[in-house]
Amino acid sequence: MVMLNKNGFKLPRVEKEKFTLLIRLGLEYNSQKMLFKIKHYNNINQLQSVLRDILKTEITFTQTCTICGTDFGCSTCKYTKFCPTKDQPFSCICNQCLRPKKVMQQQLIF
Amino acid sequence: MKNDLWVEKYRPTSIKEVIGNEEAKTLFTEWIENKRSTKKAVLLYGPPGVGKTTLVNAAALEYNFRLIEMNASDARSEKAVNRIALPATSFAGLDKFSSEIKGNMLFLDEVDGIAGNEDRGGVNAIIKIIENTHAPVIMAANDPDLEKLRPLKKICLLIKFQQTRIPLIIMALKKICEQEQIMYEFEALEKIAINSQGDVRSAINDLQGLSEEGKTLTVQDTLALGLRNRNIDMYDALRGYFTAKSVVEAASFLNSSDVEFDDLLMAISDNMPRRYTDTVELAKAYDYLSQADVFRGRVGTENWHLIKYFFNNLSQVATVNPESYKHFEFITAPPIKVHTLFWTKAKRTTLNSICAKIGNQCHVSKYEAKMIYVPYLRLMLQQKKKTSTQLIEWLKLTPEEVTVLTSLKMF
Repeated sequence: MVMLNKNGFKLPRVEKEKFTLLIRLGLEYNSQKMLFKIKHYNNINQLQSVLRDILKTEITFTQTCTICGTDFGCSTCKYTKFCPTKDQPFSCICNQCLRPKKVMQQQLIF
Repeated sequence: MKNDLWVEKYRPTSIKEVIGNEEAKTLFTEWIENKRSTKKAVLLYGPPGVGKTTLVNAAALEYNFRLIEMNASDARSEKAVNRIALPATSFAGLDKFSSEIKGNMLFLDEVDGIAGNEDRGGVNAIIKIIENTHAPVIMAANDPDLEKLRPLKKICLLIKFQQTRIPLIIMALKKICEQEQIMYEFEALEKIAINSQGDVRSAINDLQGLSEEGKTLTVQDTLALGLRNRNIDMYDALRGYFTAKSVVEAASFLNSSDVEFDDLLMAISDNMPRRYTDTVELAKAYDYLSQADVFRGRVGTENWHLIKYFFNNLSQVATVNPESYKHFEFITAPPIKVHTLFWTKAKRTTLNSICAKIGNQCHVSKYEAKMIYVPYLRLMLQQKKKTSTQLIEWLKLTPEEVTVLTSLKMF
């Protein structure tokens, strides 16, 4: 399994058609840094599937905690069984911030 | 305490306060800030209760727009849309120059609900408004794949909303509990959040319904909550269906799908060769599928008691050998059958006309002409025998019809 960072990840060289497909599905390519970045999330399921085909392995994206900003993986979350967007790069809260302890009022996102 | 609805009391007043869907929020705010340079309208779509309407309300407040809203409770016929939405998007109000209000923002909620005689011409009127608008036009829908929304999708920036993740919902519930001074067990909030299936609105409603002043909210209190039944789209239905480990699991995905039975049947049929690479497994799966198809036919429009056999056979298709599952890319839409019918329409029309001509001359039905006469006629024309020319003249076939007839491989 490969963990990708949604803000920048490298891919092996792909054919022109595959590259076009990736861009159409919402990726953005920075030719100077040679990094791909997710720009649009509308087709994330299909995008994940194409990336899986390219890398020939299961892929997962890093999650960023909206409270403390740390990156973490879905494997550390106990709600993955119920999560429809498991391993996809959407906003979440890490275990440390969610644990029933005193949370600073200003850090609450609601 | 229970007089006010908490979903209204704690409705976010700024974009930052809207829970989850950060990526959608960023795209939406970029669209507003860049003065709609890419597209004139935006279509927010996703499951209910994930913050589409809330985001629009918060954006209107934050960017000082006057929100003109039309939702499912309003008639949205061409006349109604032109009466309310057209003036709102065509002219600038006088107060734009005297106050901080930037102008109007048109919000059409639940556009997928525009239907029936009372909403006749509504979609076309909206398209005209978008083409000529001076104000931001925002629409929201649960299901953007509806045929009637296709013209709207072409001219809109599409922003998908995902189900809100459980930790985010728990955090929101915690905040409400603290503000309402309700004691709670963390597990109770977990249970409410899981049960909501990503729907923040229903989670807050559940919390309000279960909590009592001066009493601790416990897991025991949440036991009464049943699992909400959510409709899933074709992609998610297929994904869940093909990865199912048991017939029951596969059936649950079929049951919770809001896709038409026939579309589901065709989509499964299209994807089966990708799912089963072993021919024996594939044959067995097709056998179940054909039985499901038989029952679908028997169900028709009135024998709904037979639908269980349709679902049962269809569920068996996914579980011929759960161990052999390897990830594959799904074909979702349009089904190959529909695609083939589209591409062969011209050919089929010509063949139909040939059969009509044969039928006229030979006094047989079109079906009989197609099944009995056409194969022989095709052979005769392909071998270019002397009689061919006479036959063409006798049947009054056009050159185009002769070409179609000779190039026929099978029908």
